[in-house]
Amino acid sequence: MCGIAGFFDKSENNHDVGQVLLSMLEGLACRGPDSTGVALFAPGADHEVVLRLKLGEEGNCSACLGALRNFLDREFRARHQLTSYGNAVRLKVTDIADVSTLAAGIEALDKRIEIVSVGECMEIVKQVGSPADLDRAYAVGQMKGTHGIGHTRLSTESKVDLSHSQPFGSHQLGDLAIVHNGHITNYHQLRRQYEQRKIRFFTENDSEVVAIYLADQINKGLALREALHAMLADLDGSFSCLVATANQFGLVKDQFALKPLLWAETGSFVALANEEFAIRSALPGAYDVREAQAREVRVWER
Amino acid sequence: MGEVNCEGRTSREVNAEIKRQVHEGENPIVVRNPAARHNLCVAILQPVNVQIEGSVGYYCAGLIDGATVEVAGSAGWGLAESMMNGLVEVHGSAGNGAAAAIRGGTVVIHGDAAARLGISMKGGTVIVTGNCGYMAGFMAQKGTLIVCGDAGEAFGDSMYETLCYVGGKVRSLGTDAVIEELSPKEAGALDALLAQHLDSGERSKLPAGIDFKKVAAGRKLWNFDKREWKTWQEAL
Repeated sequence: MCGIAGFFDKSENNHDVGQVLLSMLEGLACRGPDSTGVALFAPGADHEVVLRLKLGEEGNCSACLGALRNFLDREFRARHQLTSYGNAVRLKVTDIADVSTLAAGIEALDKRIEIVSVGECMEIVKQVGSPADLDRAYAVGQMKGTHGIGHTRLSTESKVDLSHSQPFGSHQLGDLAIVHNGHITNYHQLRRQYEQRKIRFFTENDSEVVAIYLADQINKGLALREALHAMLADLDGSFSCLVATANQFGLVKDQFALKPLLWAETGSFVALANEEFAIRSALPGAYDVREAQAREVRVWER
Repeated sequence: MGEVNCEGRTSREVNAEIKRQVHEGENPIVVRNPAARHNLCVAILQPVNVQIEGSVGYYCAGLIDGATVEVAGSAGWGLAESMMNGLVEVHGSAGNGAAAAIRGGTVVIHGDAAARLGISMKGGTVIVTGNCGYMAGFMAQKGTLIVCGDAGEAFGDSMYETLCYVGGKVRSLGTDAVIEELSPKEAGALDALLAQHLDSGERSKLPAGIDFKKVAAGRKLWNFDKREWKTWQEAL
């Protein structure tokens, strides 16, 4: 099962993207009771990068937090801002030369520290629990932005913890997030190929390879739409996937149309989910909702 | 006239209330604010008319026998699945597996249908005024499947005695599906059937009966023949 949802505001205003996604995810929670997450996109400030980090799974993470604080004070004294949320933190850094060096520096501090998201305008928050739990932990309902995607997980093949929750980002490309409903059956083969190229996987979840694959295709120079078409040829199995970047928002459905995925578009928004109930309960009004076809790729851009 | 408001109620509560009103003899019954709830109107076994004022979720009107269910909106997966008899009409598009395994009755979709329309249908009639997706009619056994627009890939794969009619293009035929000649008599029957279920305005925008393609089983898969091993290898 798994619930996936996406919302793209067509106006230039900072819409209540967090609240809309949260309502959609509440409608989808029955499809995935294990964990919940969202990736939210809002216009970022120049020379500013936001990272969301996990400092260990449960319990005491003060050692990791201490190591992180020392590192930041040493390297980015007046140029960072750290907010703590239990075992996760939000880190904003300004004027950095190279994001990947920063990321590598942080992850070298302690093997329990993991980068959940990195980007100039994207932030991923996710954890074990319901949409209401996610809202309590991160006040998702108050987050503003332009677009975002969310996920409620029913785990089928890998463990239930924050790392294995969705959305997934990629260390190879910032400002990219995916959510996936289905199974990637050639996951192990693809993973082996990427690992031979020294690309690190952080989880055992097959959905992680979707983010790594798309980041790789985009880094090779493909436009998002082309990358999604390429995915239809290169990834096997069942997938209804949503993907978001700084200014794009898209969907792809596998060749057998094995998982549901619906889309609705009006003059002011695009909403995607795998149950119409989720879209209708979050967005009242009169509009059509349609099922995406097999091999359908759609991309919206601002 | 009966009335059921879905607001604040689960699908189970809504269905129980519909059935209670059916037993009290209410007819028609109007269902308000469905908000795409799942499983609405499942297994109604009386010839009652239910009007749903909005979109429905998965498995709407599944297993019904004799009821008329009209949806003023779109429908999710498994619309009218395994219906025995009755009429299900959707004024919008339908998700995957609409009219799957129906035994009788009629399903009319005034819009598009997604993948696996009418798979394994064992009777009845399906009319889609728009297009249908991948693998419609797969292993369908009896009945009539009419797509007024374009049909998706692998149309009519591995069928038995179901007859299909397509007004637009067929993206690709499934294994053992063949295009047969449409007789004027059949075209007339098709026109009459469409006239029965579509109003004249809607009908006038669609192709005339004689312009439909007829798709039926080529009967190559009905009996195993090792001389036709190639066909069997390609079949799913």
